[in-house]
Amino acid sequence: MLEVEGLCAGYGDLPVLDRVSLRVGAGELVAVVGPNGAGKTTLFKAISGIVPAQAGAVRFEGDDLLAVAPSARPHLGIAHVPEGRQVFPSLTVLENLEMGAYTAAGRRAWNDSLERIYAWFPVLAQRATAPAGALSGGQQQMLAIARGLASAPRLLMLDEPSMGLSPVTADEIFERIVAIHAQAAVTVLLVEQRVAEALHYADRGYVLEAGRAVLEGTRDQLAADDRIRQAYLGM
Amino acid sequence: MAQFVESFLQALTAGLLTGAVYGLMCVGLSLIFGVMRVINFAQGDFMMLGMYVAFYAFGLLGGHLAFGAAMAPYLAALIAGPVIFLSGIAVHRLLISRVTGIRGSALESEGHYAQLILTLGIALVLQNGGLYAFGSAPVSIATPLSSSAWELGPLAGDSVSVFVNRGQTVAAAIALAAVLAFVALMSRSRLGKSLRAAADNPEAAIYMGIDVDRAHRLAFGFGVAITAIGGGLLASSYPFQPYVGLEYVIVMYAGVVLGGLGSVAGAFLGGLIIGLVQQLSTLFLPNQLQNTAIFVVFLAIVLLRPQGLFGTAARRT
Amino acid sequence: MSGGSRAHLRRHAAPMAAFLLVYAVLTAFVENSYYQLIMTVVPVWAVMGLAWNLLSGYSGLVSFGHAAFFGLGAYFVALTQIHWGLPPWFSIPLAGVLGALAGLLVGIPTFRLRGHYFALAMLAYPLALLYVFEWLGYQELALPMRRDAPLRYMQFDDHRLYAWLALGLMGGAMMLTGLVERARFGMSLLAIKQDEAAAEAAGIDTLAWKLKAITLSGAMAATIGGFYAVVLLIVTPPAVFGMLVSAQALIVAMFGGVGTLWGPVIGAVVLVPLSELLHAKLGNFIPGIQGVVYGIAIVAVILVAPEGVFWKVRDLSLRRRAPRALPDSVAPVRAEAEPSTRHSVHDRVPIFEVGNAPVFEVRNVSKAFGGLRAVQDVSLTVTRGEILGIIGPNGAGKTTLFNLLNGFIRPDQGQILLEGHSIVGSKPYRICAAGVGRTFQVVRPFRRMSVLDNALVGAYVHAASHRQARAAAQAALAQVGLSREMHLAAGGLSNKQLRLLELARALAGRPKVLLLDETLAGLSARDIEEVTSVVRRLAAQGVTIVIIEHTMPAMVRLVHRFVVLDHGAVLAQGQPAEITRNPAVVDAYLGRRWRAEHA
Repeated sequence: MLEVEGLCAGYGDLPVLDRVSLRVGAGELVAVVGPNGAGKTTLFKAISGIVPAQAGAVRFEGDDLLAVAPSARPHLGIAHVPEGRQVFPSLTVLENLEMGAYTAAGRRAWNDSLERIYAWFPVLAQRATAPAGALSGGQQQMLAIARGLASAPRLLMLDEPSMGLSPVTADEIFERIVAIHAQAAVTVLLVEQRVAEALHYADRGYVLEAGRAVLEGTRDQLAADDRIRQAYLGM
Repeated sequence: MAQFVESFLQALTAGLLTGAVYGLMCVGLSLIFGVMRVINFAQGDFMMLGMYVAFYAFGLLGGHLAFGAAMAPYLAALIAGPVIFLSGIAVHRLLISRVTGIRGSALESEGHYAQLILTLGIALVLQNGGLYAFGSAPVSIATPLSSSAWELGPLAGDSVSVFVNRGQTVAAAIALAAVLAFVALMSRSRLGKSLRAAADNPEAAIYMGIDVDRAHRLAFGFGVAITAIGGGLLASSYPFQPYVGLEYVIVMYAGVVLGGLGSVAGAFLGGLIIGLVQQLSTLFLPNQLQNTAIFVVFLAIVLLRPQGLFGTAARRT
Repeated sequence: MSGGSRAHLRRHAAPMAAFLLVYAVLTAFVENSYYQLIMTVVPVWAVMGLAWNLLSGYSGLVSFGHAAFFGLGAYFVALTQIHWGLPPWFSIPLAGVLGALAGLLVGIPTFRLRGHYFALAMLAYPLALLYVFEWLGYQELALPMRRDAPLRYMQFDDHRLYAWLALGLMGGAMMLTGLVERARFGMSLLAIKQDEAAAEAAGIDTLAWKLKAITLSGAMAATIGGFYAVVLLIVTPPAVFGMLVSAQALIVAMFGGVGTLWGPVIGAVVLVPLSELLHAKLGNFIPGIQGVVYGIAIVAVILVAPEGVFWKVRDLSLRRRAPRALPDSVAPVRAEAEPSTRHSVHDRVPIFEVGNAPVFEVRNVSKAFGGLRAVQDVSLTVTRGEILGIIGPNGAGKTTLFNLLNGFIRPDQGQILLEGHSIVGSKPYRICAAGVGRTFQVVRPFRRMSVLDNALVGAYVHAASHRQARAAAQAALAQVGLSREMHLAAGGLSNKQLRLLELARALAGRPKVLLLDETLAGLSARDIEEVTSVVRRLAAQGVTIVIIEHTMPAMVRLVHRFVVLDHGAVLAQGQPAEITRNPAVVDAYLGRRWRAEHA
């Protein structure tokens, strides 16, 4: 579904990604893990077009994504839930979801998606008319994910959904993501610092270090790899 | 005492009526600032263009009495809206989009200088081009309404009565209606919501599939059009010339900052307050100091409450 | 003035002298009095642009209100001559003093504002004054002609004298700018422009420097305003307080290039004659033509060179001449220069004397932002000479803790002691001066400035003179192994070199404690080794280090002790070996699931 090949990208003259390649098959849940500053967020932004690609290729369902304007990419069926949530604070919860459904597909599926979103995140239904800026961190994260889902995407890209959340809330978010992946038949590409959770639920994973993909494998392969443990606890 | 009450009420009325039109002008500027984060120095000159569009449209309409001589100036002001909208879109596409928006953010921190000086350049071209096209002699739109008034009162036992200028009242009513229509557009329509989303967080807006460049262009077009309508409304009670924009760009910025940069409702109230301060100051200060009073109030509020009277503390810089 | 800026001025001196000389000679050949006037107003607007540039160009605080100073100067000179017969030779310098005072008075309240708010507030001053002067009845002041003493009153028959005088003032303004540019003054302003918070953290008293800048800038603008009154002989409020005066100052500066002494001069030399000649040649047939062409010229240049002519030309010529800065791989750390680097990379450096003396003591500190409790009842001690690692998941409050330690934010509760003295409520630059240096997550060097100048910014806090600061900066660069890159533009450095540069900038202030915020983030394993060896060496030299980092393998080998934060509270503290085995830490980092599966 998504193929990234030899992607180099970065800000100005500072390259952050160095020939990164990865593949996400339809229906998979793929995790990208790695230390802070490894380039995980930059990878996502390059796929979305916010950070310019300097070399390499990104293909989505066979189409050359780099040739598509950044704001046109969501219309192809990609939803990017950015790091740090980035909800629209002055818009209400419902308006945020409507903005999620800005794509044609999102508008067609609006009634269904809203119903499902409210089923997955009942708190959003309760707070539908509140400005998003007034929600708690966990609620904002739920809104950000829900906003991504409202576009009825085929690929959902989640950048650190657990960031800044308490373990309980993070666990809750994770369970929803897994449920959504299963129920909505959406492909998920996940960047996460909670390695264990991410790898447990993922079909496959990639480890990014200093802008390079240094390790890849299935869940079992990665879980057995001591380098993961080393990378995170230095043992 | 009665004398003072009367002048006070008179100034209050005049302030509210001009303030409503200022408010409309401020809303246009505030939209541009809120969505694009650009200080547009050419705003007053687009307003000037709007005044001249209204002036010529009035000339064309005036002959056809079917419209009624009384209402023609207001129709002319409304015509200025779409005309200036299109010129705003063109200016944005040809010039401003090259240094703002997604492309602008790639520039180094000096990027915002470029926007600023670009709008200054555009302002110079418009002002002086206007001088060539329209001549330097002040013109105005004559309407029978601007020289007639309703008398309120006598109030408080015959001693106090207030005259309400009919022309200004109609202008204020149209301004208020335009603001309400615009607020409805921003809060109800998909377009309005997408503009607000782009203002809140341009990056996230792109993730939603919103074309932020286009949102900026539309905001610029709407912003100058709204201000131009305000200018057109003002044109029937004040004479103007091609340099009129300079005076009003200051009034507009004062209003917008008062209301809190980027807030539409705040901008309207800010403009209203500027109108009130301007008129009420005549009670205590000589006429020439009207504008000084505006700037003093403006400075005081900016220094005491930089987020504006109605803004919240959170702001993007 | 300091030694460094004098040296800098010498570099500029030759082109400056050449330019002034050519201009003066050209002026001598101009006979038409209208062209003589143009030759006079070019330097006038250049000085106005230089005045604006001194404040706004270097500090980044855009002023739309420089007409306030210009107009005050003009009216002061006109009024003192009309009422007291004061000759301009005295009143123009006095106008400068008045402008300085006005600058200070405007600056004190207005510097509370930032960004657009500052710019717009500045707009209000000249316009308020404009109406006041109109109201006072000064719609049109004419300077009285003094046939009796023309020289005493600067009323020359030969109008070239005005041009030469204006040129002299411009030379003075350029020299002043040159002196400020590379001295502590200019460096501090540049640091403010880049990142005001980081500048405070580097020991720069930002408010004081901004006030000095607006004082000097106001003096320059008022001086030239006073001179302008003498040249034109007539002063009207719109001509000296109007929007166009402020706009002209910023247009010539931005057109030519902001933040350089040549920018405003280039802008004035190109734009002023253009507009005047158009006005003279075509103004009668096509009213407003000069404004239109002027506007189009500005728009065209901004689209082609958004940062101004000077920088565009410089960047183009640099690109042509120098192939490129050294790539990372050809700039290795030379072993003979730093003998201790290579062989000690993998074994622990002997601890400098980790005594019991606490450097920092944090007692029950809490800080909330709205509903979010970012730091909750944190107590910890940093001991002299140790390397303390602060770890925890994103959002755990690590950076907030640093912001509390260096004074960016005040704790809601609790005490923070630096060497036994409370620092709660102290300004960041004072805490820096007391010995706390810090780096930031996002590296933001001055890309066009050299590596040395970048480090210099951090060196002033403990240096009495520019020479000392330079020595400290050089020493700091040597400590981190960037001596060879000293004269390169910082924009050409690699990621690792930028981290080292930031380290050097903090070190140049001779800190007792260094707070390092994610210094290793995004580096490759090899680069990490190099940067950590530098950090270790610093610790061995007696600098106490507190480091926030996620790169655990490197941290485990680097630090003496860990403090683990989670959700704003201390989850655990201890030696690396215990911490990596602590079940709560494993949970917070790898998650419970990991332990469930790998236990």
